Amino acid sequence: MIDQLHLLILGIILFCVGLYALLGKRNVIKILMGIEIMTIAVNVIFIALGANIANETFTQFAQIFPLISIALGAAVLSVGLAIVINNYRHAKSVDSDEIATLKR
Amino acid sequence: MVELTIIIYILLIAAIMAAIFAIEYKNLMISIISLVVMNLAIWGVFLFLGATLLAWIQVIVYGGGLTSLFVTVVSLTEKQKDETFSLKRSIIALAIIAAIMALSIWAVVSSEGLYTPSGISSITESLELLWSERIMDLILQAVVFFTASIAIGTLFISHKKKKLKEEVEV
Repeated sequence: MIDQLHLLILGIILFCVGLYALLGKRNVIKILMGIEIMTIAVNVIFIALGANIANETFTQFAQIFPLISIALGAAVLSVGLAIVINNYRHAKSVDSDEIATLKR
Repeated sequence: MVELTIIIYILLIAAIMAAIFAIEYKNLMISIISLVVMNLAIWGVFLFLGATLLAWIQVIVYGGGLTSLFVTVVSLTEKQKDETFSLKRSIIALAIIAAIMALSIWAVVSSEGLYTPSGISSITESLELLWSERIMDLILQAVVFFTASIAIGTLFISHKKKKLKEEVEV
């Protein structure tokens, strides 16, 4: 059977990959992808903590927070992508350094 | 049973590889496809763990809805390739990430039993629990969203009226 520790490590690695996109990339679309990956990583950690692998059972309560997190993550990404399109119309770029000031 | 465990480990590795591929690949469309692959791998892991409701919601919202949004944005921005690479920035980011990852993994490995009490997972039970335990939160959220939407609507209408008045005066 799979170890709970390995699931937690998967969550940590995914979170760090998302964080790398946030810190190291300048393309706003890539940054938003990083935010999505980070949200999914947190959900994986929640589910890993809710799964009692020794008894092969699952705590249903562990699904509730990730459910809200998915809804909020979807809203955040939608708004982020809308901002990207609006900024592209004015600045003609998706580089975060070029659109950092939000000034026209 | 052993085969199932091997499949799950393959899914875990596929999820990590797809996430790295999504971030590092230059062609944005292939990045989005990698994101879908990652979502599917995570969907398999969730199904294996018994979180059926969350697995399907995750694959519908992230794997379907947001992927289509990403495709639309990439098509509209006409920037199919990521040409904004900065070596210095990447190295600094990698150093920070390595430190955070090492610290987190050390913390998780050194901590003991994180198991929670067991139960049975089903869609009905999850929603019933949400309804019975978190009803006040839901009501508060509804009130806050309702008030906020009415306030924003009022602001928009008053702004529009003001603008119309100014135009008439001019």
